[in-house]
Amino acid sequence: MIARPIYAVLEREVVRMFRQRTRLVSAMVRPLIWLFVIGAGFGAVLGQARGIDYQQFLVPGVLGMTVLFGSMLAALTMVYDKESGVMRMLIIAPFAHHWIIVAKTLAAALAGIVQAVLLLIVLALLGFLSRQMHYALLFAGVLVTALACAGIGILVAAFTRTLDNFAAIMNFVIFPVFFLSGALYPIDNLPVALKVAAMLNPFTYAVDLLKHAMLTASAASASELRVGIDFLACVGFTVLAVVLASWRFSREQAYEPLIHILTGKRG
Amino acid sequence: MNDARPLALESAVHTQGLTKRYGEVLAVDGLDLQIPAGRFFGLLGPNGSGKTTTIHMLSTLVRPSAGRAAVAGHDVERDAVPVRASIGLVFQDSALDRTLTVAQNLRFAGLLYNLAPALIEQRGRELLELFGLNDKRDRPVGSLSGGMRRALDIVRGVIHHPRILFLDEPTIGLDLPNRRKIWRFIERLRASTGMTVLLTTHYLEEADTCDEVAFINSGKIVQRGTPRELVDRLGRHIVEIEARDLDPLVQSLAPRLGRELRDGDMAMFRYPEENVAPIAALQTELVGRVSAFRIRRPNLNDVFLWVNAAR
Repeated sequence: MIARPIYAVLEREVVRMFRQRTRLVSAMVRPLIWLFVIGAGFGAVLGQARGIDYQQFLVPGVLGMTVLFGSMLAALTMVYDKESGVMRMLIIAPFAHHWIIVAKTLAAALAGIVQAVLLLIVLALLGFLSRQMHYALLFAGVLVTALACAGIGILVAAFTRTLDNFAAIMNFVIFPVFFLSGALYPIDNLPVALKVAAMLNPFTYAVDLLKHAMLTASAASASELRVGIDFLACVGFTVLAVVLASWRFSREQAYEPLIHILTGKRG
Repeated sequence: MNDARPLALESAVHTQGLTKRYGEVLAVDGLDLQIPAGRFFGLLGPNGSGKTTTIHMLSTLVRPSAGRAAVAGHDVERDAVPVRASIGLVFQDSALDRTLTVAQNLRFAGLLYNLAPALIEQRGRELLELFGLNDKRDRPVGSLSGGMRRALDIVRGVIHHPRILFLDEPTIGLDLPNRRKIWRFIERLRASTGMTVLLTTHYLEEADTCDEVAFINSGKIVQRGTPRELVDRLGRHIVEIEARDLDPLVQSLAPRLGRELRDGDMAMFRYPEENVAPIAALQTELVGRVSAFRIRRPNLNDVFLWVNAAR
């Protein structure tokens, strides 16, 4: 019963993603800039991080970044949907409203996965991928990373009225999530407060998982946590985020600003 | 609210004491409404009278503060999902994705109602044909004119063949030719499906074709009946007089024409008789004292004005 509506939301996400090609291209270019510019620059200063070349260390991080931006921004478009006609179509459709959150989270995760696959192709062509990767673990890792990133986005979207203040979301959500994750540097070198913040960040576990999958030869030193814990943290956070966002979304309707956002007036 | 008697099943819409309070404001005040299946029903009233809030409660998007409502036999609070499955809703603002094409929008809407893609395709073609939009299938919605978008919004609202269609001000913001077009579409749609239609509008001339209308003001029904009945109840004619100094004129006419309704320099009187000879005589009597004198048939607009004046 609910499969088709969810499919509809996923299909719309993919159609929209390939329509906005510049967004897709920039999603490919952004990680490469990090890899070539930051990677080369800091690589020259640092030499090696945890026994491996810094640029190699950065590869799982930029893959994670692509998923983070891809999934999170896609989930954040729910705020835009609230202001446009799409949410009207969704709220009058015959299913419980928490399915809107579930469908949107899955669609956002799919957006991140598609971008991750495209980036992996680019990275492979540029010779950045090791032949000894754990392919199954990489697949599963990208999947749960995308879900967790979509979860962060949907949580922010559920508590946000408009995207007018996108800069604030960038400063207070996207940047901290990215910088405090181990994507750019090992977290156990961080001061205690930041390390605690990193341990509370679901993206930390996602990036760690990608390191496990991609840096096989030196995984023992590059990744800092156990695979099982990484999985549990990502999946657990996603479930929590969906439940919280659904609760918030239905509460918003109980108090009715949603319908007023939709119609702009009481008639 | 805890009344255990089931609301009548044969009614498309049935409400008892339906009430919505926003803080101090009573948006809808104890509404009792019964709309038999297949009816074309108009809910009329000024802006802010409670029309849209009523529609939102009936379509499960807003919770009633008190009273109850059944739509297609389902309670709007307890069985929100079955209610949403049996209704189509066209909002005042478009419920379309402007970035997708016409066909993509219908596919999205149809899939949300669990329709098979082939069925969506077939119904989409039939409905777009009815609305004259078939050649626009692959155009992005953002590039359509306001009238076309509104027509597409209605197609979107009926793609799942709802038993009841709610149209909330379907022609608002459209110019006259486009309003006429939308009305022709709605007539064709009713003729081909027989669905119950609940319409809100404040363009009263558009409600003339309704089987039944109810005037709502401050959340209460103040008058209801067929448009013909309501107009007939008002009188056979309306006499309009325009003059610079109305007061003495109105006073002198009161014994013959009764209470007047003012609108700036104009006064309107109701005249109950079919025979207008006495009025024609009045016209000659008033020559020179008035700048205009008109006798015309009343319409729903007059009903609306007199209903509100009586309050």
